Amino acid sequence: MAARMIDRNAHRWGAGISAVALLVGYALDLSWMVPLIGVALGIGVLFGLRYSPLGAAYRFAKRIFKLDLPVIPEEEPPPRFAQVMGFAMLGLGTIGFYVLDNPAMGWTFGLIVAALQTLLAVTGICVGCEMYLFGKRLSAKGAA
Amino acid sequence: MITRLLVVAAVLAACGAFAAWWRSREGRMIAADGFFEHADVGIGPRERPAAVLVEFSGENCAPCTTVETRLQKLAAELPDVRVVSIDAGERLDLADRYRVRRVPTVFVTDPQLRVIWRASGVVSEEALRGALLGPDWAGRPHPAGVEAERPRLPGRGIRSRGTLRRPRRAKPRTPARPPA
Repeated sequence: MAARMIDRNAHRWGAGISAVALLVGYALDLSWMVPLIGVALGIGVLFGLRYSPLGAAYRFAKRIFKLDLPVIPEEEPPPRFAQVMGFAMLGLGTIGFYVLDNPAMGWTFGLIVAALQTLLAVTGICVGCEMYLFGKRLSAKGAA
Repeated sequence: MITRLLVVAAVLAACGAFAAWWRSREGRMIAADGFFEHADVGIGPRERPAAVLVEFSGENCAPCTTVETRLQKLAAELPDVRVVSIDAGERLDLADRYRVRRVPTVFVTDPQLRVIWRASGVVSEEALRGALLGPDWAGRPHPAGVEAERPRLPGRGIRSRGTLRRPRRAKPRTPARPPA
């Protein structure tokens, strides 16, 4: 079965939005930014990236500002896995802030996600996607 | 606040450094050694294409499509250059044998299927063209007889750490084959 397609630009811009939000949140010590972005990633993970609020923000900005950005089709599974990773890390960060009362732990996970999202937004390097593909080859190898 | 801004700057600098390192490896042609077996690439032993571009691709791999398009374009332009696409997920045996760590990975071989170059990631059309039409096929005669002086490729002379080896069961190649 063919994989569902998404717009690569929406994925990258969404990553840019979350990276900026997390870095600004860290600079201003807004700890609620970590669970907020975590929820945004979680919606994409649960319902599909086309329903991600970050992608929706990109599409909204594109329409409002009449940005002439092309739709670059990309298969959904690798970016979705990357978002699962981001969601898990921000979940751990949230636990650090609000359960363990450990802001250092919270911001460590928050900044890791911010760094990976920055990398994706600026260069197009999706570390989570690469891990997905690598893991898939490994699992196929194990099954063979 | 200042400390936090410094941390943000450090995170951005680390991202920049990683991106620069990644880019320096991405799609770079590296001289390599080894052989492809005719059966592995679906080319008959009597066939003598000028060069063969072997691409290892994978499912869900968007860059593979980009690379494949470039390879096909070159194959259409250059006479007798063959393109072979192998799904690394389906042919894990070949991916293992030829030490393919990520997709897309492209190998450039001579008519005898000796590997001359390899590149991982999105390799540019310019780099592919340089590999096919460059002056130096790692000290071997160029299949198309091109001997003109051309600029050296970036990365030329660097041996791949994951060089190919002839498969153990392969019969030794005799030098009696007529050159193309």
